Amino acid sequence: MRFRSDLKNTRTFSKLVAALSSLEKIAWLRLDDDTVRFTVIPDTGSQVWASFSMDFIFNNYAIQSAEPNNTINLELPLSPLQRALKSALSGSSALIRLTKKDGIPVLSMTITTSTKEPQGAARQGGIGANPGAGNHRGNYDDDEDGVFAHEPLETNLRREREKIVTQDIPVRVLHPDTVETIMQPKIRDPDVHIQLPPLLQLKAISDRFTKLAIAARASTSTNAAAASAVSSSSYSPKLELSANMHGGLRLRLDTDSLNVESRWSGLENPELDPAQLECALEDHPSTRFREEGPNKWATVRVDGKDWSKVLSVGRLEGRVIACFADDHALIMYVYVPQYDETGGEDSVVTYYVSSYSA
Amino acid sequence: MAVLNFTLSEEGVSSLRDALTCVSKFSDEVSLEAKKDKVSKRPADNEAGITTKYRLPFELTPPVHGKFDRNEASNHWSIRSRSLRQIMDYFGPGIEYLDFHSEDDETVNFTCFTEKVKNGEEVLKKPLHTSIAVERGEFEDFDVHEDQLHIVISVKDFRAIIQHANFLGSQIFAFYSLPTKPLQLKYEGDGIKCEFLLMTVGERGAPGQKAKKNRGGAKGPKPPQLEAATSRAASHAPTPVPRVPPQPQATRPDPVPSLRPSIIRPSQRPPPATFESESLFVPQDDEHQWDPVNLGEDEEEENARLEWDIRGDFHAPATNARSMMTNRNTQESTSNNATEDDLPHLEPTQRLSQVRKFGLFDD
Repeated sequence: MRFRSDLKNTRTFSKLVAALSSLEKIAWLRLDDDTVRFTVIPDTGSQVWASFSMDFIFNNYAIQSAEPNNTINLELPLSPLQRALKSALSGSSALIRLTKKDGIPVLSMTITTSTKEPQGAARQGGIGANPGAGNHRGNYDDDEDGVFAHEPLETNLRREREKIVTQDIPVRVLHPDTVETIMQPKIRDPDVHIQLPPLLQLKAISDRFTKLAIAARASTSTNAAAASAVSSSSYSPKLELSANMHGGLRLRLDTDSLNVESRWSGLENPELDPAQLECALEDHPSTRFREEGPNKWATVRVDGKDWSKVLSVGRLEGRVIACFADDHALIMYVYVPQYDETGGEDSVVTYYVSSYSA
Repeated sequence: MAVLNFTLSEEGVSSLRDALTCVSKFSDEVSLEAKKDKVSKRPADNEAGITTKYRLPFELTPPVHGKFDRNEASNHWSIRSRSLRQIMDYFGPGIEYLDFHSEDDETVNFTCFTEKVKNGEEVLKKPLHTSIAVERGEFEDFDVHEDQLHIVISVKDFRAIIQHANFLGSQIFAFYSLPTKPLQLKYEGDGIKCEFLLMTVGERGAPGQKAKKNRGGAKGPKPPQLEAATSRAASHAPTPVPRVPPQPQATRPDPVPSLRPSIIRPSQRPPPATFESESLFVPQDDEHQWDPVNLGEDEEEENARLEWDIRGDFHAPATNARSMMTNRNTQESTSNNATEDDLPHLEPTQRLSQVRKFGLFDD
């Protein structure tokens, strides 16, 4: 079993991993000749299937295994991967390979980096360029007073020094039998498909509704201790999300004491491609929803906290299509932008959003 | 009984605070020693102001100093604190030890590792293992007599020292001899001289061998802390198990196998930025805006902020149910006079000519 590759699109890769790790600590990574796929299936909450062509994040890759299509299945922890990618972001090149160290399989990332040595006041190393998050008082770096002012002059004139950083992410190699049973969910044809408004906005409003619900619940309780008890992590309000085939989206919070709603209009309901449909376009449920007018809503209920984690995918800045199966399921397709145009066809992150009945 | 009076300048207070912040990571207690001939006097400013008195409990103890024979420590190097911090920034959380050694004439290697025993199931909980090859040229000087001389120290201690040295922007000097012998780290700047004595661990990978150490920075009896260092709560990391997806409620006889929406391929451009640029709710360019909604510890703070936000409150009565009711009551009682109220006021809309007199617009 062999895998090695140069990394590219590290920033997008890193954002993807950040989005996934808000849902779960461990991901299943599946590599083969053509496709790289990340799958995250939390015990509770939404699951994600993110599929990319290998070209999207890998360059000059070599992959080999005894399985068909040289498939390799790994289980890997997301937060070390995220940390390693953070190092890679500040480096000039990064190589990744599957190997064994001390008897433990690891994905080993080798990053070539050089220390930026700005002339004069040595401040521009900057928070952004630094890989570290462990700096409790990182602001000192940006202090206008120049905390490095005492450095001897010649150190500021030193040439850039190369460093080779090796980050080993522990992984588990999964047997094909283990993964065979993990199936992507199958959902009926959606009633409504709609392009979501900018996720930053949707997330800000959703988060506010979630907090409102908790605050409302806490304030209706007379006992202060009980109030803090209900606002603890055990309680998570449900938000009602609806869409129609006339560009409308509705987010609603309905509690005993409080009813708030945000509406979006003029959103796009993308056209379906008849060639890809299993049925005739006129038989598709979305056609019926469109014909029944803007008052015909498809509605699902989502968990406020889980929904917030899902919306974390907004950092990928992709176009997001939400597919509503009324009172049944919500799927989100995040089309990841490929600015370099070299990537393959399928760069889509699919969220099966946990939904609840009324 | 000895009496110690001293006045700290403003800079003195801040550098003492920085030093204490650093030292407090080693121990809860700190020993103060003063030598008369070392104290230089400065006149205190006679400024009017508030006087606050603090009484700190203390006890008099004979000073304890870590033993370090500089003549024995034949190996030494020095490097800018900033370089060291950049190196340390590559290391992730959850690691216990730092190993450094010269690889050859060209490179010095820094490696972090942990000794916590992991069984097979917990392999994925192992922290990120990082090693960094640094060119010798990054060091100001590097005089070590033996390649592959592995010196292992506690990461927690090292980080605290680097952080403090980095405030001062100083050069850090290390002196040491062999593994298990103490290592001295020195730096100075801004009127402060710092010396730390760290015990080095012997052979890496020998679990029983937890060295106790002396610390020059914090004197007095201390528990050996290498064992206690970095006791992170093991994170729960369940393995993905197949989860039965929510099954369709038989509204359709057979689910369509296609998983993608059969949508004509959308363009790759990002969604329009119209709303983003004027988002009212969260600051822009902040990675934290994508964090999951925070309902944790600082809940009360969040709720407090939620209640009535005065800052953006242009329609005060409408946002606050309580004040709305109050307003309604007073309006009811005064509604008769309200129409006769001929104080100048602005209707929601009016002609420009009507409002020019208020001087809001240029002519």
